[in-house]
Amino acid sequence: MPSSRNRNDKPKRRPAAAPKPHLRRLALAAAAVAVIGLLVWSAMDHGAPAPAATVAQAPAPRGPQFFGQVQATDLPLPDDRNNRRRQLVENVQLADHTYCSYRTSSQYPVGSRPMTDNPDQNRPNDPVASTNPMRLDSGGADTGVQLQTSQSRVYMASGESVAFSLRAVDADGKTLPLVITRALAQGITYAGTRQTPQVSIPFADDGTGADPVPNDGAFAGVLAPAQSGLAAFNGTIRTEVRYNVGGKTGVVQFDVIYTPELPAVWTGAPREAVEEGSLVFHLPLDVRMPGRYIVNGRVDDARGHAVALLTFNEVLGPGPNDIKLTMFGKLLRDQTPAAPLTLRDVDGYLLKENTDPDRALVPRLQGKVLTAASHSPKSYSDDEWQSEERSRYLTEFGKDLREARARLAAFDPAAPLPPSECMPATR
Amino acid sequence: MKLMRWLTALCLLGMTGFASATNYTLWINGRTGGGTIGDYNSFTYWGPSSTAAGVNKKAVNWDGYNSIASQSYHIRDALDCFCTGSNWCYIATHSAGDLMMGYTLANYGGSARMKKNATPNSSGVCGNSDGTSQTGWNIKWVRAASGAGGGSELADYGSWAVSDPLTKDLKTATARAMYNHNDTRGIWFYMYAGAKGTAYSGILPGQDDEAVAYHSSGGVAGSSGGSYCNPSDWFCNDLTLGTAANEGGSAKWSYHSVSFRDDSEAYNHYTSGNWQGIVSVVRNAMVNSAL
Repeated sequence: MPSSRNRNDKPKRRPAAAPKPHLRRLALAAAAVAVIGLLVWSAMDHGAPAPAATVAQAPAPRGPQFFGQVQATDLPLPDDRNNRRRQLVENVQLADHTYCSYRTSSQYPVGSRPMTDNPDQNRPNDPVASTNPMRLDSGGADTGVQLQTSQSRVYMASGESVAFSLRAVDADGKTLPLVITRALAQGITYAGTRQTPQVSIPFADDGTGADPVPNDGAFAGVLAPAQSGLAAFNGTIRTEVRYNVGGKTGVVQFDVIYTPELPAVWTGAPREAVEEGSLVFHLPLDVRMPGRYIVNGRVDDARGHAVALLTFNEVLGPGPNDIKLTMFGKLLRDQTPAAPLTLRDVDGYLLKENTDPDRALVPRLQGKVLTAASHSPKSYSDDEWQSEERSRYLTEFGKDLREARARLAAFDPAAPLPPSECMPATR
Repeated sequence: MKLMRWLTALCLLGMTGFASATNYTLWINGRTGGGTIGDYNSFTYWGPSSTAAGVNKKAVNWDGYNSIASQSYHIRDALDCFCTGSNWCYIATHSAGDLMMGYTLANYGGSARMKKNATPNSSGVCGNSDGTSQTGWNIKWVRAASGAGGGSELADYGSWAVSDPLTKDLKTATARAMYNHNDTRGIWFYMYAGAKGTAYSGILPGQDDEAVAYHSSGGVAGSSGGSYCNPSDWFCNDLTLGTAANEGGSAKWSYHSVSFRDDSEAYNHYTSGNWQGIVSVVRNAMVNSAL
C-alpha cells in the first residue's frame, strides 16, 4: 500500500498560511531553541550528512518504490500510533533519499551529464515512431487496424524539411493495403489571425524520396515549408493525412513546429581544449538574435559508446559568441571512456520567453562535429562540482534529514532509524 | 569535527536574527484552469481552499488554455515569489501542470533569479527582498498527479473537440520533444498514475485515467508513447514502481519515480472541484510530507 494512502487528512503542525509578522518573534524564538537543540545534537557522537566529499561514480538515478516499508518490531501498537510512526519513518526515508541522491547527482554539473541519465536524448535525429489504433474519420478508433507512423523531426530549423510515413498493420503485424486519399499541410492559427495556405503533400510507396522501399505498404511524404506557401509561417504546421484501409476512412495528424527565422549561425571551426581539469568543446556562433540559447551536444568514446550529454544554457548578446560544451573532468575520470572522444549531433535554439512558438532553431550539426585529441586522463580533475546552488541544496536537504530523524526519535526513542542510502548506520 | 559543528550551529544562531525560512506548497494546475491568475489563494481548480494540502499551500494558477511556453511566466513568478532566498518549496502538479513544471525547470532552472519577499501583488509578482539573485529556485521535490509531460493521445486524435493552443502542446510527439525531461536539476518528480478510465480505452494505450495514459503519468522516457499496464494485465507490459525499467525494458525519465500505480483502478483524472480523483492521492501525500 503506498504511503499516500495512509490517510490522515488533518492539517499538520504547520499553519496553513505564511507566518504573520507578529508571529515572527515566536518563530525566531523557536529557531533559537532549535539551534540550541542543534548544539546539543552536535555534541553527540553520531553520523551526520557528510559534506559532499568522496562519492563513487554516479549511478543512474534511483528512487524508492514506496516510502515506508516499515519492519514490524516490538509489540503491536495501536493503529493511530502505528500510522504516525510509519509516517515519520517514511518522512525520514524521503528526506534521506532527497539528500543522498542530490549529493550523488550533483557531483557533475547540470551541463555535463552521463548519457545514462538521458536515455532519450542520445539519438536526436532519429525519427519519432509510434503505433496507434486507426482513428476513424467518423470518430472513434478501429483497434483491429494499427497505424504505424513516423516523422523525422518535430522542431524544425529554417530551411529544413520533414519526412512523414505511415503503414497499416493488423493485430498480427501483417501489412494491410492502404490508400492515401488526401494529405494537406496548414499552419495552425487562432482567432484573429489569417489562415495560412494549404499545401498538398504527395505520399508515395515507390521507393523514391523519403520512401526507402517500393511497394512495401508504407507510404512517405515530405514537407519542405521553405519551398511552399508556408515559407513565412512561424508556428505549428499540421499535416492531416486521410487514408483508406479495408473500406474505412481514417485520419492521422503530424505536427511540426517551424520557424523561418535564423537566430544564429555557426562560424569557423570548432576546437577543444583541456581547461580547469575538464574537456571543453568551443563552437563559434554568430548571434543575430540575442537571448537565451540552449545547445546540446553528445559525446561518444572511441568505441562508439555514448558517454555524455553536454548542455549550454546561457544568455548571449549579438555578434560572435563562443558556445562552450564542457565535459566535466570528474565525469571523464569516472566513466573512463576510450580516447579519443567525439562530439556529435549538436542542436540548439534561441528560447523566446512568453511567446508561442517559443524557439528559433540554430542549424543542426548532424553527425560528427569534432574529435578531441587523446589527452592524458591525469589532465582531468577528479574534483566534484561545487557551486553556491549545490551548497544551498545540500545544506537544506541535510537539515531536513536531521529534522525528520529528530521527529522520529522523539516519537519513538527506542526504534532504530531507517538505514540511509549514503551514510553509515547511526544509533 | 565537533568544533566544526559548534561553529556551524553558532553561525545558524546568528543567521536567525535576520532570516526566517518558510516552506511553501505550490499547486500547479492543468488543462482548463479556473483559478484566478495571480491570486495564490484561489483554489477553484482543485477544491475548497480550506482543505489541507501541505504547508503554506499556494495555488499557482495559469489559464490551462494557452500554450505552455506563453503561460510559463506565471509559474516562474510563483517560483520567484516563494522559492528563493531562504524560502523553499514543495510542488504538486496535475496533468498539464507536469508538462509546465518540467518545461520551466529544464529551460529556466539554471537562470539567475532575483530573491523575492513572498508578498505578491495582484498580478502574482513579488517584490525583491535584498536585491541579490541566485541560480534557479529552491525546490525540494515534485509530486505529479497524472502527469501529462509525455502528452496524451486524446490530443493526437483530436478527441478534445477544441482548438486551444495547449492541446497542440499535449500531442505526444510534441510534448516529448518540447524539452529534455531528464533535466530536472536533480529534483525528483514522484509520479502518481491513475487507472480508472474506460471511456477512451480504444484511444489511450494501456491503463489510463480517462485523460492520460500510464506512459505519461508514469514518466516513461522516449519520443513517443506506449502501452503500459497494471501487473494484473497479462497482455501488456507492466509499469513498474520506482525508477526501475518497465516490463519490456523501457526506461523512465531520470529523476522520475512512480510512487503510486493504481492497481485497483480506483482513481480517475478529475478533481471534480473537490480534490478528487488521482489528485486525492497526491493531496494526502502532500499533507503527510510537505512540512
